Amino acid sequence: MFLELAKRNLQRAKVRSLLAVIGILIGVMAVSAIGIFGESLKAAVVQNFEDVANELIVSPNFQEGYKYLEEKDINRIKKLPNVAEAIAIKSDSLLIETKKKKSYAVVYAMDEKDVEEMFEAEKGSIRLKSSCVVGKRLAEFAEIRVNSKITIGGREFRVAAILEDTGARFDINPNSAIILSPEDFEKVSDVGYTMLIVKAESLEKVDDVKNEIEEKINIRDEKVVVFDLKIILERIDEAFSQINVFLMAIASVSLLVAGVSILNIMLMSTIERTKEIGIMRAIGAYRSTILKIFLMEALILGLIGSGIGSVLSVVGGYLIDLAILQDASYVFQLSTLLYIALGFCIGVFVSVVSGLYPAWKASRLEPIEALRYE
Amino acid sequence: MKVVELIDVYKIYSTEYYEVRALDGVSMDVEDGEFVVIMGPSGSGKSTLLNLIGCLDKPSEGEVLINGVETSNLNDNQLTELRRDTIGFIFQTYNLIPTLTALENVELPMIFKGLGREEREGRAKELLRSVGLEKEMNRKPNEMSGGQQQRVAIARALANNPKILLCDEPTGNLDTKSGEQVMEIIRHQNEELGVTVILVTHDPSLAKYGDRVIRLRDGKIESVEHVS
Repeated sequence: MFLELAKRNLQRAKVRSLLAVIGILIGVMAVSAIGIFGESLKAAVVQNFEDVANELIVSPNFQEGYKYLEEKDINRIKKLPNVAEAIAIKSDSLLIETKKKKSYAVVYAMDEKDVEEMFEAEKGSIRLKSSCVVGKRLAEFAEIRVNSKITIGGREFRVAAILEDTGARFDINPNSAIILSPEDFEKVSDVGYTMLIVKAESLEKVDDVKNEIEEKINIRDEKVVVFDLKIILERIDEAFSQINVFLMAIASVSLLVAGVSILNIMLMSTIERTKEIGIMRAIGAYRSTILKIFLMEALILGLIGSGIGSVLSVVGGYLIDLAILQDASYVFQLSTLLYIALGFCIGVFVSVVSGLYPAWKASRLEPIEALRYE
Repeated sequence: MKVVELIDVYKIYSTEYYEVRALDGVSMDVEDGEFVVIMGPSGSGKSTLLNLIGCLDKPSEGEVLINGVETSNLNDNQLTELRRDTIGFIFQTYNLIPTLTALENVELPMIFKGLGREEREGRAKELLRSVGLEKEMNRKPNEMSGGQQQRVAIARALANNPKILLCDEPTGNLDTKSGEQVMEIIRHQNEELGVTVILVTHDPSLAKYGDRVIRLRDGKIESVEHVS
């Protein structure tokens, strides 16, 4: 009955109730849609890094005087448990000459199968037997084409492929580099292994592998430095979560405004219904009963506004994702959908809190004073 | 048995500039099953007296006892329960809740008492039938005449079987015929069911309904006459 009474009181001032609902609806929609977008953005960025997140980069500890990784250490790391794969890389900065250009570029030594696994050829096909593959930006800069010849460190190689732009990477970046087979690399440079890319079997095993490497290799001296890319993923996650909280806080301002409008509406309603409150008190309503009726009205406004706002926030989040990320699939992930629940809860909470003061005020009215009110 | 007892009751309204003695040392009592009519000109303090008896207001001085209980010792919840269970109010302006139907208005005191739906609905229908409103049960106050609204208000006042019925100018806003209907219902409650009635009015024609007529003037009891 109290629910019915609250419902009818709201229906009595339809336009006013509707405006309050719209206020909450906009607030919830803003908070949830922004939350959805923020989470989607995070998911999109994290997804880009997930492929490399189980990687560890092992480098020689230059500070301790180690210039290259030792081959026996590389072999020991390869045999460690939880290591799925380990790619040893040599790199040197060498003079390269084409018909038109002459400059220095980074040259990596890698096995053909590792290159095939890590990169895609944009033109030509990846073959490293007496050939090389060239990064996209270097190819553009030095006007290198597939099957053309370039001189690296005084030796001539045929270009088998131009690689696709890989974007930013944390292990090696072949965009402005050349990749040779280890055998060919030895012919042009005498440097040792400068990096070992270790892939853990899973993201959860990264810490174990890192500890294993440090325990097995750095027994006496700190020979190697191990850097895990998982930490980057964690930092990204953290940073985007903070950005998301900030964005939602901005959107919450609209909910605050909606809360003030509910407060205003309920206060007006309290004044208008002073006499009714007096009647109810006279015929046996406790103060707590009056409080309950008014809070129920605020709750109803909150539930309706937040409910509609939540539904619309999915649409809003979908459109924002589509417009900015060109991919709306993130909207339907569990972590994203949690923001809808969060927006809904905040909306209902704001509504009830806004209704608290008017409800308290109504419940404090003295029956005789309320009955006399005209 | 005294159901209402007022001992040297004062009600003083004071502002920064003046003081009004609405009740000035009133002492009176009402016996169980009695019909008391309180009369007096406007401003004589009759409504104030009724509000004090109804525990809607507190005296500035003195004591009001209902069923032998000193009301000044009761907290807000206890006063609310006293109003809900022992006292029924009938106001001049009916004071129905406009958003509720006649049936729901009558149910309201029973809801506040915590009665179940079936029980309260049955009793509300029975009460509305007893005041001749079986066809108007689902109408809202604005869809009924003044007389009908006052009869709903009587049904509501009787919802929790009160011992005392307080009527503040119950016929004040009604035509003669409706007024008579309303007074007959109140008289029936008093004579047939033994409900104590305290009725405040400035209409001398209502004096005939009472066992006793108390006249007030300037917040004091001017006279008490027993009606034979």
